[in-house]
Order: sequence, then C-alpha cells, then structure tokens
Amino acid sequence: MMDLLFWAPVLCAGGVAGASTGLLGSYIVGMRIPFLGICIAHAALAGAVFAALAGMTGPGLLGPALLAASVTAVLVGVVDPQTIRTDINVVLGILFSLTMGLAFLGLGLFSVFGVSDNEVRNLLWGSITFCRWRDVWIMSGAAVVEIVFVVLFYKEMRAILFSRTHAAAAGVHVTLVWTLFLLLASLVLTVNFQMVGGLMIYSLLANPAVAATRLVRGYGPLLIVSTGLGALSGIGGLLLSAVFDLPTGAMIVILSSLLVALAALVARWRQGK
Amino acid sequence: MNGSVIEIEALQVQRDRRAILSIERLSVRAGEVLVVLGPNGAGKSTLLKALIGMVRCRPGHVRVLGADVGALRSAALTRLRRRVAYLAQTLAPGSEMPLTLREIVAIGRTGCAGLLRPLARGDWQRVDHWIACLGLQPIARRPYAALSGGEQRKALLAMAMVQQPEVLLLDEPTANLDAFWREQMVAALTELHRTAALTIVLVCHDLEAIPPTTDRVLILQAGRPVAHGPCDVVLTQEHIESLYGRGLAVGCRAGRYLLVPQPAQELTP
Repeated sequence: MMDLLFWAPVLCAGGVAGASTGLLGSYIVGMRIPFLGICIAHAALAGAVFAALAGMTGPGLLGPALLAASVTAVLVGVVDPQTIRTDINVVLGILFSLTMGLAFLGLGLFSVFGVSDNEVRNLLWGSITFCRWRDVWIMSGAAVVEIVFVVLFYKEMRAILFSRTHAAAAGVHVTLVWTLFLLLASLVLTVNFQMVGGLMIYSLLANPAVAATRLVRGYGPLLIVSTGLGALSGIGGLLLSAVFDLPTGAMIVILSSLLVALAALVARWRQGK
Repeated sequence: MNGSVIEIEALQVQRDRRAILSIERLSVRAGEVLVVLGPNGAGKSTLLKALIGMVRCRPGHVRVLGADVGALRSAALTRLRRRVAYLAQTLAPGSEMPLTLREIVAIGRTGCAGLLRPLARGDWQRVDHWIACLGLQPIARRPYAALSGGEQRKALLAMAMVQQPEVLLLDEPTANLDAFWREQMVAALTELHRTAALTIVLVCHDLEAIPPTTDRVLILQAGRPVAHGPCDVVLTQEHIESLYGRGLAVGCRAGRYLLVPQPAQELTP
C-alpha cells in the first residue's frame, strides 16, 4: 500500500506541474516554438549550477535559476525575427546551445573545484518523489500567476498564437504581451523544473498540448484539455510509479506519450465515422 | 490633411544599403481606391508596410490619417494600426492549435477592444456580421488550417474588416486563387468599397484583380513610380509592355481589365 502521508504532496506536485506545463505547452506548441521550453529550462539550470558553485544550496538556487531564465526570456523577446531575417526557432536553437554549454561548463567546474555536484545533477532529472508541501505551495503560486496571465491576456494570446505579424498589424500590443508571456514561461519552467527535472519538462510541455489538438478544436477547449491531460500525465505517471515501483520520470513521460497516441487513435476513429 | 488620408513625401526605404523603394510624392484621398501595380520586387509590398510602420523609412515622411508614421512611438503606432487594416501577401501559416475561422476573424477586434477587456457581445456580433457578409458562415466553426487558400484569404479579409478600419491595405489579396475565388474576392472588395466607403490601397500584379471602382493606378518598377493616374491613362499598351514585355495586350470590358496574349504575327518587329 502507498504511504499516503508521503505520496500526498508528491501527487499534488505532479498534478500542479503537469497542469501548469500542459497549459504553457498549449501556447508553446501552438506557436511551433518547442525549443523555447528547453532553452529556458537549460538557462535556469545554468543559473542554478553557477549559484551552487558559489556555495548556494537548496531553495537558494531558485533565485539565480529564475534570474538566468528571465534574462534568456527577455533576450528571446527583444530579438525580432523579421528584423534579423531569421526564424525564431533558429534563434532559440542558438540560445539553447549557449545555455546548455554554460550549464555543462558549470557542471565540469565542480570537479575542478573538488565540490560535490549531486544537488545540481538532481535538477537535470528532477526529484519529485522528495517533494514536500512547501514545494507544492511554490509550484501552486506559479500556477496561479499563470492562470491570472491567461485570463487577463486571453484574447491577445489567441492573436499571438495565430501570428505575431498579423496580431501586430491588427493593433494588438504584441511586444508587451509577448514579453510578459516569456517572463511567465521562465517562472513556470524554473519553478517546475526543480521538481520535475529539465528533461521531463519537455515531454510535459509538448505531449498534453499535442494530444489536445487531436481531441478538440477552438482556443478555450484546447487550453482546458491540454491542462487536464498535463495533470493526468503527472498524477497518473506518479501513481503507476508508486504502484509498480518503477522510475517516476520515465512513467510520466511514457504515460504522456501514450496519451498522444491514444488521442491520435480517437481522432482517426472520429474521421472514419 | 487636405482630404488626404495618406500623404507620402520623399519616401525612401533601404535594405542592405540599397534603396528598394523611392517615392517623391503620393497622396490618397478619403474614399479613394488606389491600385499599385508592378512586377515582382518592384517595392509594392514594402510601400504597404511603410504605411503601417512595419518597415523603417528614412529620410522622408509618411502621414497616415494625420499621423507621421515614422515619428510614432510603439503605443501610438498600435493605435494607428487599429484604424488601418492590413492584409498581408502571405497567408499566415496559422497556429498548430486548431483555432476556428470565427476565432481568427475575432483577432481583428482584439486591439480595438483594448487591453484587459474581453470581447463584448457587440464585438462578436460584428465578427459574425462580416463572416456572413463574406459567405463564410457554413465554415465558421472549422479550423483555419483546414480551409482552402481562398477561404483563408476571405477569413483574413473579414479579420481586417471587423476592425472597422478607415483605410484598407491589401497586398495581393487574389494571389494563388483560381478564377472563381479571384472573382469572389474582387466582387467582395467592390461591395466593401460601395457600402463602407473605405479608402483602399490594393497591391497586385494581375490586371484581372483590379476592381471596377478603382480611381487611380500607380505603377512601380524597381522601387520607383513609372506611371500614375486614372486606369484608362495608365493601363496602356506602352506601360504594360514596359512592365511585362511584348506579347501581351490590354483588354478592358465594363470597367474590368485583363491581359490577353497577342498572336506572334501581330507583333511588330
């Protein structure tokens, strides 16, 4: 039997992480910029690695990680793909390789300085099974900020989802809302990647959103279904891991991938009807 | 404004230190339809982008609805763009998310409704009105990506119209459309101009796409105006040959123009 006292905060963290990354992912997948997620996650990792090198530990790593992620997000925001005549994914690819290079440089420096790098290595894979209620509250706080953003800028984000150029031409405050979205993405990803891990975040960003596109149409339903499937992936993966004593991260990733396959089958079945 | 909603003076747009558009003087009066013709790379699309501040133009002045576009800061430019609807040449690839046609058309009301305010019932009524006007009602709930090229163009035209613009800038609205859809689009533009009394600047390189309500034609070549005036003065055999070479004759019927290939024996050496 599961130890409920131990698993309750873990399951809540899984649900909140899945839901908030699922919601964020519906925008990131919608705009076809999946690199944004791993780019910001690796920037946060680099920030945390260098903070750990400077002697910071535990929750103290969150601030520098958030700072590095926000700087990267602002950089993405100020670069105008039209001005530099380069696709946004190319820009993200360059930034991703830079942030990953910085993170691995920092990891390499641990052995040079003879310091243990166990804590920052956990950030790569996550440590959701060690999650406590305090972590759940922090993750829930970020999720609330995300929901407030989506409610306030619901229609502007719909326009940006379609096309930033068309939205700007229609008199939408694209620069302001896009920059705020990037800062929100850095907050949500940084807070969640400490628990879920930089690598698992990518699957939670992409899979629920892709599955939602196969199941429903329309902006509002997509956001709701993507959020729900994210939560289902998080909680379901943790439950499977607890019941069958299997690796947590792997179960979350596999379950979210299975949901995509299932959604594709449902969509195909509907088309055939 | 002297009755002019668009005034251009000594406009020059440069790319890679080369002038790609250079217009000494041009004005468009309220309610006028100006068609901009020219071969590929003539600077037609750049002209439209300069009118809404999407390309920088130095030196020179572009005044649209009384505002000096080059001098506007971000917020003021955003406000101007709500009064000037722009239909881009390339169809937006759209989102990976299956947004519906109705949601895409509603993007035109997004800026007008203002920040932090949801679209009101009146906004949605306007959206549905233009969807009906352009005959898009039966496909209003279908995902934008699942529509044909012609339907997507009409959806984008509806998106521009729900802005209730004073000026409509259209960049090759009939590009990639077959004859049926092209005629639908020309008819829609003619009707729009008749009912909404809009000022329209239409960029195209097919004479068949010129609406019968056109007041003036401007021909651009290599970024410079080579002819400018009423249709019957500008759309002459001489100008067409300078644009597209010999072998094409200009035809005109009931205010519509078209190009007809000339038989080889009719071409003088």
